[in-house]
Amino acid sequence: MKPKSSIENAVLASPLVIFLLAMLGFPVVLSVIYGFSEARFETIASPTFNGLANFRQVVADPAFWQASWFSLRFGVTTALLQCALGLFLAVYLAPLVRRHAWIVAILIIPMVVAPAMVGLMYRLVLHEFVGPLPYYLNLIFGSSPSFLNIANVFKTVVIVETLQWTPFAFLLFLTAYEAIPKEMREAAAVDGTRPWRMFWRIEFPLMFPTLFAAFFVRFIDGFRVFDNIYTLVGPGPGGSTTSLSIYIYETFLRRGEIGKAMAAAILLFISAFLLLALAQQMMRRRG
Amino acid sequence: MNLKTYLRVGSTALALFASATALQAQVTVLGWPGGPEEAALRAAAEIYNAKPEVTAENKVDLLFTSRDGFFDKLQVDLAAGSTAFDVNLIATYSIGKYAPYMEPIDLSADASKVFGDTVLKTMQFDGKQYGVPTDLSLHFLYYRKDLIAALMADDAAKAKYGEISKKYLGEALQPKAPEEWTWQDFAANALYFSQSVNPDSPTKYGTVLQMKNLLFNMMVFHSWPRSYGGNWMDDAGKITVDSDAYRKALEMAKMLYDAGATPADSTSYEYAEANAAYSSGQVAAMVQWNAAAADLTKAQAETGSFSPPAGPDGRFTHIHGLGLGINKATDNKEGAVAFLNWLASEEAAVAYAKAGGAPGLTPETAAKLAADRPDLVQVSDYASKYGFVMNGGTSANALTVYEAQAKEFTGYWAGTQDLDTAMKNITASMTELLKK
Repeated sequence: MKPKSSIENAVLASPLVIFLLAMLGFPVVLSVIYGFSEARFETIASPTFNGLANFRQVVADPAFWQASWFSLRFGVTTALLQCALGLFLAVYLAPLVRRHAWIVAILIIPMVVAPAMVGLMYRLVLHEFVGPLPYYLNLIFGSSPSFLNIANVFKTVVIVETLQWTPFAFLLFLTAYEAIPKEMREAAAVDGTRPWRMFWRIEFPLMFPTLFAAFFVRFIDGFRVFDNIYTLVGPGPGGSTTSLSIYIYETFLRRGEIGKAMAAAILLFISAFLLLALAQQMMRRRG
Repeated sequence: MNLKTYLRVGSTALALFASATALQAQVTVLGWPGGPEEAALRAAAEIYNAKPEVTAENKVDLLFTSRDGFFDKLQVDLAAGSTAFDVNLIATYSIGKYAPYMEPIDLSADASKVFGDTVLKTMQFDGKQYGVPTDLSLHFLYYRKDLIAALMADDAAKAKYGEISKKYLGEALQPKAPEEWTWQDFAANALYFSQSVNPDSPTKYGTVLQMKNLLFNMMVFHSWPRSYGGNWMDDAGKITVDSDAYRKALEMAKMLYDAGATPADSTSYEYAEANAAYSSGQVAAMVQWNAAAADLTKAQAETGSFSPPAGPDGRFTHIHGLGLGINKATDNKEGAVAFLNWLASEEAAVAYAKAGGAPGLTPETAAKLAADRPDLVQVSDYASKYGFVMNGGTSANALTVYEAQAKEFTGYWAGTQDLDTAMKNITASMTELLKK
């Protein structure tokens, strides 16, 4: 087919561009304006420019650093766990999945549930008096840990996130694993390569780019976690489960400090962007 | 159909819609959606609209959205000058926040006879009345009558009770009827009925404290420091939260948590979790909202209730109310004022209560509901005798103060920071939030 003229292309693409500008561009511009302004709900229609004051407030706020540290720990831990578990499941279950493809549909069910619902569900499941898990642990072992007290709450939210999102990593790894040419495995087997060595020397290196991408996607997702933690335990005693997204939400809507919240959101965006750029560069270098 | 036909049909539909809208009620009331509050407001509006003196342009139309994020959305609407509603819901702890976008209202002297001054005060800010109180919330002490009766009838148990209170509270206490409890008695009872302290206890926990980092949990807690004389600030506006009263109450709560008198997961507990714990039969007593009375009594038939325990300064219960006030951007102030004045009458309050609402009423008005709503008699009695609002409790940043307290105090209870740090932080936050 003959290519259309550039004017025609522009005209045809304009509705989408206008839609994206209105739906994404406008809020982004507004957020940037508020980030550099003194803005509260009372002055939302007439924000006054205050330079970097909001950013100074944010970086001087110990709660911001506490939330950043939580997000970083949570992002790294959950991404590592999900990738490790996902990789194990993909390799271990691959022969079974080849015979019964419907197993994949069952394994990815947790991913389909809204994270907020997952938080609410575990609030019930882990409750000492009505939750099935403490009930059976008590029945079998005579006692049950307090899943949501200060000593265990971090581990609990990490496990909840891992259980929900490991299927995502599993799906990526399974695809990558199945994409490895059969001939490679056959040639290695003919040469007498043992399965463990075959995995580390052939399959794992071939899957590494997928592993790298999965880790970063899961890390970014974990770093900006909100829904399931907020509905399960809220900001936590003393702010101990406050992620950066929860910090921004509470600063914006609970405390009405719109400028400060937007400044924190801009910092979150910049850090996520830099991390992704770094990841991309590392991938390119490796490639 | 061609374009002309489409346009003709569209114009006719629009004209019909416009004329139908013109016939609609002219005072739009944004109410608290769902639950008994919505049912009660619907019943009251129906009575009001049926009155012959209410003209068509002053009839009431009700608007309900969702409870989820209600106050956040309301704040945005009011700040944007929305005219989608003439009358809107307000709550004691957020009046100051919404006051710049609302019109104060002058209620007749009869309102005082219907609700009483303590309850009317829950809708005041800067000395002005911003709304008509519709529903009142306060706290009850819920306790297991059967357990207390068994304890008081057993001399060996009493001796054990004395030993435990001596060890943990520094004085040997004797069991008392909950109507006579001080917070010391509450703590002694909580310790005695906890298996971590007293392995022979019939319940696993003596109490259940709501220690989640959540602003509403601070409302449940602060009757405790108030009874020791605590307040947010003095009349001169100086923040007084770092006081012996607050320290004593916070320390006692932490002592109960550390002793295992409340579940270890209490730092993630709010209303629902605490009710589930009590309903399981494994908790001897708790302080909880009056709204839980029916559920708790249904789950544990031997449940008694009274106002929260007393302290050296007396017996207190936090009260706050929901109410309805006037949107400053209203197009129909006259109609809104007329409706709210009627809502403040005895006729409206009684109708509202009979339809399921929970207004705080004077004993005289509540007596008229004794047959239909005996629970309201108790609520009204406690509200008028023990109800309090902290200094600054209706200010613009009252909710944020609760939030800040929740963060600092739960941090202390969970052991992430010491009491001095919590006090230093909360004093700094409240000084900033409550400055004039």
